[in-house]
Amino acid sequence: MSLQGWYPLVLARDIAPGTSAGTRVEGKEIVAWRDDKGAAHVWEDRCPHRGMKMSFGFVRGDHIACLYHGWQYDTAGQCRYIPAHPDLDVPKTIKVPTFGVAEAGGMVWGNFDAEGEDAAPHPDLPGDITPLRTVFADCPAALLVERVPFTPLDGIAPEVKATEGRIIEIRLGDVTLIAGIQPVAEREAALHIVAAGNPSNDQMKRLAFWAEQLRRDAEEAAANEKIGEIAA
Amino acid sequence: MSALTLYNYDLDENCYKVRLLLSCLGVEADQVAVDVMPGKENLSPAILAMSPFGALPVVRHDDLVLYEAEAILAWLAETRDPKGGFLPKDPDAFGRVMMWLAFSARELDAAVQARSTAMMDAPGDIDALRMAAREALRAMDDHMTRQHFDGFEYFAGAEPTIADIALFPSFALSRDYNVDHDAFPALRRWARAVRKIDGFITMPGIPEYH
Repeated sequence: MSLQGWYPLVLARDIAPGTSAGTRVEGKEIVAWRDDKGAAHVWEDRCPHRGMKMSFGFVRGDHIACLYHGWQYDTAGQCRYIPAHPDLDVPKTIKVPTFGVAEAGGMVWGNFDAEGEDAAPHPDLPGDITPLRTVFADCPAALLVERVPFTPLDGIAPEVKATEGRIIEIRLGDVTLIAGIQPVAEREAALHIVAAGNPSNDQMKRLAFWAEQLRRDAEEAAANEKIGEIAA
Repeated sequence: MSALTLYNYDLDENCYKVRLLLSCLGVEADQVAVDVMPGKENLSPAILAMSPFGALPVVRHDDLVLYEAEAILAWLAETRDPKGGFLPKDPDAFGRVMMWLAFSARELDAAVQARSTAMMDAPGDIDALRMAAREALRAMDDHMTRQHFDGFEYFAGAEPTIADIALFPSFALSRDYNVDHDAFPALRRWARAVRKIDGFITMPGIPEYH
């Protein structure tokens, strides 16, 4: 499947400076990492040397190093240092493919269009948010979104408003949630959820329980759908 | 205090739990290497006399012989942690630590089994074990997500306890049984906090970050 536009990949909170996270978009393996100065990077999750996932490696300063043989890459994806050949001037051809990256609404976004980061503006989302959590579920992204209104909190059904792109707005009592939709694979999805404003920690914990219940509901619905398909 | 003896296999995550706590407590133990794979020395009469199914680790101290990693962790904390932080006396904190120790030995045992099936050809339904292990890791990630809203970086509260020591190996080694860290952001953050405990050591399969 060809990827178009901006995809939410991870809550900004969940990649601290000097850390990385592996993920997938429609099955394509991606690493999101943050250098020690705080800038986020979105790359193909593969060391060109032996194909090891870069997300298994570690960040040192503004380089990310492969776990396997320690090859180090700078923020442009260019290999800069090969420990087994410390004096080597590393050829320019040893490079990890990099993608467009933006931070908005408490999420890190990636853009995989061939034209790169100029292809589309990054989503215009509020900055005054509190990160809740990402829900990872074994179901298609459309089904996960479809189940949101059917997962009540304290007996009250959420109201869902589709906004634009891969974003939904969820009214849950007196709290508004904003969720970025990530199609991880055909039957795997992630919903990166933040709350507008600054709810209390107790409210955030109640919302976290709600998000756990959403995962259970969506996976149960997906399992039932699969049984239906087999029966048909 | 007379010497401790730890019957140890370096590749066994349950043995690592004990080595990790010993290191964090700064306690020395004589280690007896047991060749589990391929030697099956854990099934020798000498070990079976201490641990009836040959499960490691085993700790011996004078006449006391203990097997079951979680019990050994609790006993070490009770006898060799002068500050008492690893097994708190506060009843609620104590209850939380015991709950997660039981979780480690029960729900999370699927991860131990998944790993030995994947890596050491132990019998088992690898797909079912992997799914059960993932469910356990999800419950842990859910818990730590909520802990973080309270500003707590560890399972039972603000400070590390033997619960963290018991739960850490199966998460850190999850790639051995083909469960990635991608879907557990709160556990990634917690694992970084565990790595910061004074005396932290790794085991084969858990990289040092250098």
